[in-house]
Amino acid sequence: MALPLKYNVRNVFVRWRATLATVLGIGLVVAVYVLVQSLAVGLRRASANTGDPRNVMIVRKGATAESSSQVTREQFRLIPYLPEIARDAQGRPLVSADVLVLVTLPRRGDNGEAHVLVRGVSPAGRQLRPQVQLVAGRWFVPGKREAVVSRRLAARFANFDLGNVFKTGNRELSVVGWLDGGLSAFDSEVWMDADEARSLFTRQYYSSVLARAVDAAAMRALTNRIESDRRLPLRAMPETAYYKAQTLTAKPVQILGNFLATAMSIGAVFAAMNTMYASVGARTREIGTLRVLGFRRRTVVLSFLIEGALLALVGGLVGCVFSLPMHGYSTATIGWETFSETVFQFTITAGLMARGLLFAVVMGLLGSLLPALRAARLPVITALRAV
Amino acid sequence: MSIPTFIIRNALRNRRRAALCILSVAVSLFLLVILLVTLRELTLPLEDVGAALRIVARSRISIAVLLPARQRAIIEGIPGVEAVSPFSWFGGKYKNEELTTFGQFAMDPKLLRPIFGEAKMPAEQYAAFEADQTACVVGKVTADKYGLKIGDRIVLDSTIYPCSIELKIAGVYSGTIDDRNVLFHHKYLDEAAGTGGLVGMWWVKARSVEDMAPVTAAINRAFANTSAEVRAETERAFQLSFVSMWGNIKILIGSICTVVVFTLMLVTVSTMGMAIRERFQELAILKALGFRRRELFACILAESFGLAMAGALLGVGGALLLFTNVSISKLTQGIFLVFEVTPRIMGTAALVAAVLGIVASIAPAVAVAKTSVVEGLRTLD
Repeated sequence: MALPLKYNVRNVFVRWRATLATVLGIGLVVAVYVLVQSLAVGLRRASANTGDPRNVMIVRKGATAESSSQVTREQFRLIPYLPEIARDAQGRPLVSADVLVLVTLPRRGDNGEAHVLVRGVSPAGRQLRPQVQLVAGRWFVPGKREAVVSRRLAARFANFDLGNVFKTGNRELSVVGWLDGGLSAFDSEVWMDADEARSLFTRQYYSSVLARAVDAAAMRALTNRIESDRRLPLRAMPETAYYKAQTLTAKPVQILGNFLATAMSIGAVFAAMNTMYASVGARTREIGTLRVLGFRRRTVVLSFLIEGALLALVGGLVGCVFSLPMHGYSTATIGWETFSETVFQFTITAGLMARGLLFAVVMGLLGSLLPALRAARLPVITALRAV
Repeated sequence: MSIPTFIIRNALRNRRRAALCILSVAVSLFLLVILLVTLRELTLPLEDVGAALRIVARSRISIAVLLPARQRAIIEGIPGVEAVSPFSWFGGKYKNEELTTFGQFAMDPKLLRPIFGEAKMPAEQYAAFEADQTACVVGKVTADKYGLKIGDRIVLDSTIYPCSIELKIAGVYSGTIDDRNVLFHHKYLDEAAGTGGLVGMWWVKARSVEDMAPVTAAINRAFANTSAEVRAETERAFQLSFVSMWGNIKILIGSICTVVVFTLMLVTVSTMGMAIRERFQELAILKALGFRRRELFACILAESFGLAMAGALLGVGGALLLFTNVSISKLTQGIFLVFEVTPRIMGTAALVAAVLGIVASIAPAVAVAKTSVVEGLRTLD
C-alpha cells in the first residue's frame, strides 16, 4: 500500500524552517537557468521572426552574411525583369537592392562604442518588408542625407533622437523618423536610401537583393534560375530561411546557460541532500513506526523521493516567479553574424519554465535518493528506540 | 581534550554532513572562480610586449570599411614613424568548419620582424616567407591544432572577399600573446580578390614611446576631411574597443556571481543551523558547566569558518590546478587562449568563503546566547 501524498505534503510544510533554505537555493538555480536560457531564446527569436515568406534573398555565393556580400550593378540588372518576380500596382518589379554598411557609433551615456548596421534600401524596400512600421517622424526622402533608425536602437545610442544629426566618418546623417521592426532583426538597423548610401560610403556595389516572388512555385523557379545561372556568382534562398540560419550568437549563450545551471545545481543537490538527511534523522522513530505498521521498504523510499521532488518543485516555482519580471526586458549584444549590435528581449516561454521545473524536480530527486535509501535501511527496532 | 580538538571533533561528528557542506562550498567557489576568470579574459585582453610602440589606424566609419592604399606613403612620411604595414582581415574559413577560431591577415611580409618583434621564428623562415608570394606563416597554436608543418598547403575560403586562396606554410611563429594567426602577402590578396588599392587597416610602429602621442595625432590629422578619414589609436586602445562591444557583459556576469554567492550562503547557513540545532542540549550543558557565551560563540564560529575555508581550499585549489595543467585553448577549441587565476581572484574567493563562514555562524550563535540554560537542557531535538 502506498503512503498518502498528504503525508509528504504535510511534512514539507511542517519542517518549513529547515526546508526554506533549500527551497530558496533551488529556486535561485532555476531562476538563473531560466533567465540565461531566455537570453538565448530571445536572440534566436529576434532572427527567426524576421522576413516575409514570399521574399527571396539574393547574396554572393560564399558570403555568410548580407554585410559581407557584394552584388554588382551588372548582376543586379539581370534580376528585376525575371518573370517570377511580382510587380506592384504600378507594374514596377518588387525588388530592392540593399547596401549594408557597419558604422561605429557611440552609445548613450559614456557606454563605449558599438557597430550599428546601416541598411540602404531601394524605394520598394519598405513594401517588401511589411513588418517594419514607422512609429515616429517621417520616412527619409531619397537623395537627401536622411535616415530612419530603429526605436530600440534609439534608446541605446547617442544622437538618435528625432531631429538629431549623427556623424559617421566626416559625413552627417539626420534622423527623421523611428521605425519598429516588430521584434525582428530589423529592430537593430538604421535605414536610408540605397543610392545615397552608396555615394556616402563610396560603395561600388550593392550588398544584397531582395525580391518578392509571385507565388511559391515562382519562388522555387527563381531560386533554381539564379543558382544555376553561370553568369551570376549568386545564391538565392527564402528570406525567412536566411534569417533562421543565423544561430551563431544564440548558441554560446545556450551553452553558458546549461553550464551554469549544471554547476550551480551540484551545490543545490548537496543542499537538498543535507536537508533530506536531516529530515530522515528527525523522523527516525516515525519511519520505524511506519515499518512496523507494515509499509514496505520501497514505499518508504518512494515516499522520501516524492517529498524531495515536491520540495524541489516548490523551489522551482519560486524560481520561475522570481524570473518572470525580466520577461520582455530589452537588451543588446554583439551579433556574430552581422558583427553589429543586436537588440533582443529576455523571452521566457512556457516551454522554458516547464524545462526549469523539470530541472528542479531532477535536482530534488537526486538530492533525496541517498537519504531515502538510508531511511529504508534503518533497522526497525533501533529506529523505534531512537529519540 | 583541548578546545581546538573539541571544535574539530564537533565538526566531524556528522562526517557526511560536513563532507556535503564542504563539497557544496567547493563547487560553488569553483564556479565563482571560473566566472571571475572568464570576465577578466573577456574584458582585459592580454598585452604584447611590443604593443607599447604600435599604433592601429582604421577607417573612422568602422573597421569594416576599407582604406585606400595610397595612404601608406603619407603615413611613412610622418616624423617618428619607423614602419607601416597594411593589415587586412581575410575572414577565411578553413576546411568548412562552422567556426574558424584563428584569424588570417594579409600584410607586407618584409615588415613582420620590424613591427611584430615578439614573434620568434628562425631567420630562414622569415626569408622563405618574403621570397614566395603564396607563402604564409602560421602561429604555433594553430599549427599544433591542425598538425600543420612547413611545406603544407592550406586553402582558405574568404567570407568577405569573393575568393579562395591557397597558401604554402613557410614558417611557424611563437612568442606573441596570440599565436593563432595566419599571415600572408598583401599582394597575393590584391590579385586574388581584385581589390588592389584597398587595405583593411594600417599597423604603424613608432620609433619611441615619446613619439606615440604625436604620431597618433599626426595620422588622424593627415586624413581629416579627406574621403577616407582615419581613426588612429594605440594597439591597447584598439583591443579595448572590441571589449566595449560586448556591452553589459560585466553586469551580466557580475549578477550571476552575486546569485552564486547568495545561493552558497543559503546552503552554509542552513547547514550550520542544522548542526547547532542538534547540539543545543550539549551547548546548554556547556553553559551550565561555566563556559561563557563568548567561548561558545568562538566554538561555533571556528567550526563554521573551518568548514567554509576547507571548501574554499578545495574549490579554488581545484580551479588553480585545473587551469595550470589543462590546456584551455584545446578545451575551448581556440576561443580562449589561457585562463589565468590571479592572486586577486583567489583572494576574492577566499574572502567570500571567510564572510560566509562568519555569517553562517551568527544565527546559531545568537540562538544559543538567547536561550537560557534550563530551556536548553529541556530541548529534545
